[in-house]
Amino acid sequence: MEATSSEYLTIALPKGKLFSLSAELLAKAHLSADNLSEDSRKLVIENERDKVRFIISKTVDVPTYVEYGAADIGIIGKDVLTESGRDVYELLDLGFGKCHLMMAVPSDKRRGRLTDYAHTRVATKFPRIAEQFFARHGMQMEYVKLNGSIELGPIVGLSESIVDIVETGRTLKENNLTEIVSIMDATARLIANRVSFRLKFARIHRLMEDIEEILKKNH
Amino acid sequence: MKEKDIILEIPYGTRDFLPGEAARKREIETRISSIFTLFGYDEVVTPTIEYLSTLTTEGEAIEPHLFKFFDKQNRTLALRHEMTTPIARVVASRMRGEPLPIRLSYVSNVCRYEEAQAGRQCEFYQAGVELMGSSSPAADAEVIALAATCIKDAGLKDFQICLGNVKFINGLMKDFGLDTSEQDEIRRMMEKHDLVGLRGTLGGTSLDDGQREVLASLPLLHGGDEVIERARGIAANDESREALGNLMEIYRLLKSYGVDEFVYFDLGVIRDFSYYTGMVFEAYTPGLGFPLAGGGRYDRLLSDFGSPCPATGFALGIERLMLALEREGRYAERHAGGVFIAYAEGKRDEAIREATRYRSEGIAASLATSPMSEAEANDCPLRRRYESLAYIK
Repeated sequence: MEATSSEYLTIALPKGKLFSLSAELLAKAHLSADNLSEDSRKLVIENERDKVRFIISKTVDVPTYVEYGAADIGIIGKDVLTESGRDVYELLDLGFGKCHLMMAVPSDKRRGRLTDYAHTRVATKFPRIAEQFFARHGMQMEYVKLNGSIELGPIVGLSESIVDIVETGRTLKENNLTEIVSIMDATARLIANRVSFRLKFARIHRLMEDIEEILKKNH
Repeated sequence: MKEKDIILEIPYGTRDFLPGEAARKREIETRISSIFTLFGYDEVVTPTIEYLSTLTTEGEAIEPHLFKFFDKQNRTLALRHEMTTPIARVVASRMRGEPLPIRLSYVSNVCRYEEAQAGRQCEFYQAGVELMGSSSPAADAEVIALAATCIKDAGLKDFQICLGNVKFINGLMKDFGLDTSEQDEIRRMMEKHDLVGLRGTLGGTSLDDGQREVLASLPLLHGGDEVIERARGIAANDESREALGNLMEIYRLLKSYGVDEFVYFDLGVIRDFSYYTGMVFEAYTPGLGFPLAGGGRYDRLLSDFGSPCPATGFALGIERLMLALEREGRYAERHAGGVFIAYAEGKRDEAIREATRYRSEGIAASLATSPMSEAEANDCPLRRRYESLAYIK
């Protein structure tokens, strides 16, 4: 059975903090499957009765599955989506998974203006968003791409600053970092493949309406 | 001196078509170009390289995606990224004054520097047509019907054509009194189908709630001809109403062509709106995340070349069509025809005459390059590629 079959709706879900919230929301919209869990050893979980299939993938891969049409729709944070630069349709702001992307520096090394940091090194998991942001301020920076523990960058002398996601700000405080500028706020988004959006329009549109209804109730 | 390293790689985004693949490609191209001929389109061939300024006539946005280099006078050249602009150049220059309409077709390679995707490398092949000199819906219906016929006759069963008209949205936005920069931003959001961003942008305009709702829901106006009825309900201006009338007339004609079963309406933004001026369409097939073909009406391009003339057309991605056919399993059984001709020592001349005889009857004949025994001929790997063996002893 091909993952692209036209009677199934294939949904890509990211592992990690968005997983359970996404699965819950979709279940309320009558899209679920037995044993749908991010710890599942199966990577594709199917509900034959309702013709739904879930692909559980690494967060950064969700936009890729959707762009290529391997998944018809997906749920992904706006931060990861923007960084991916993938050409997918962005259908709904789901409101959950709020996070904040910002630039921070060691508290004792603050400089007067943002542009005073031009040509310094930034450690980040989001080089594309960072570059777009600094370019808008006419700044060239040196980007050091890291895949985790970004806050380590300035501590070990790898970079002068970081561009990273914060949720509570605790990690910043523990590492003596201070936010100096906000870059973007992000929430989870419902995305769709441009071809699936048309070929499976009725199903996707119904799902959008159901989700909007659920979100309204939550407010 | 160290011997030079042999380079076996090819540049990023290019590919080789090996025997089999190349045969399938040729077969599809041949079939499509014969359909073009059946519809009365004449083939044109234009250079692979053009002046950069020719290719960017319709805007600079494409420039980062062009392969560029210099000629001896340091003028910037580029590999063509599509065929419509070169054909418009030909029509506006060398074919000026020809009786209208002009129907032209092509099957060509084009190059775009972008990330390689499913069925599209940086260099890829397109087949398409341009119908110049008619602004009638009949011209639009003809190119859509032609696109559908090409896809259908290539053997693809499951596909859809989505049809829209840029004037519908343009009419609404003008009627709502949006200024050009607001219109551009809204179009940009619609083009990306960023519905979240679209709502944000609309929130920042002076529109009332009802108008915002109309524009926010446009990307969801998709379906059969009932969509046109729903759209009539929100089209309170002449331009939008004309656009809907135009689409209904095209749809009516597509019924006469017998291809209406493939056609759906989509009044959101299907294709780049800065370029198209009326009808736009794209063709989709399940399992291929990208459009198979696309096109529309572009009445401004030729006037940008100094020779105003309405025009419409489409381009179809050959590799994408091949990929879609493969996924539908349409390549499964391919019959090897032809004959392998082997010969005993001293019988080469006779074998050549035998091969010539087969070929004159239109049968592929592959001739052994050296004499061999009949047993060797039967075991020869070349033998297995042909339906039969002719052994000359």
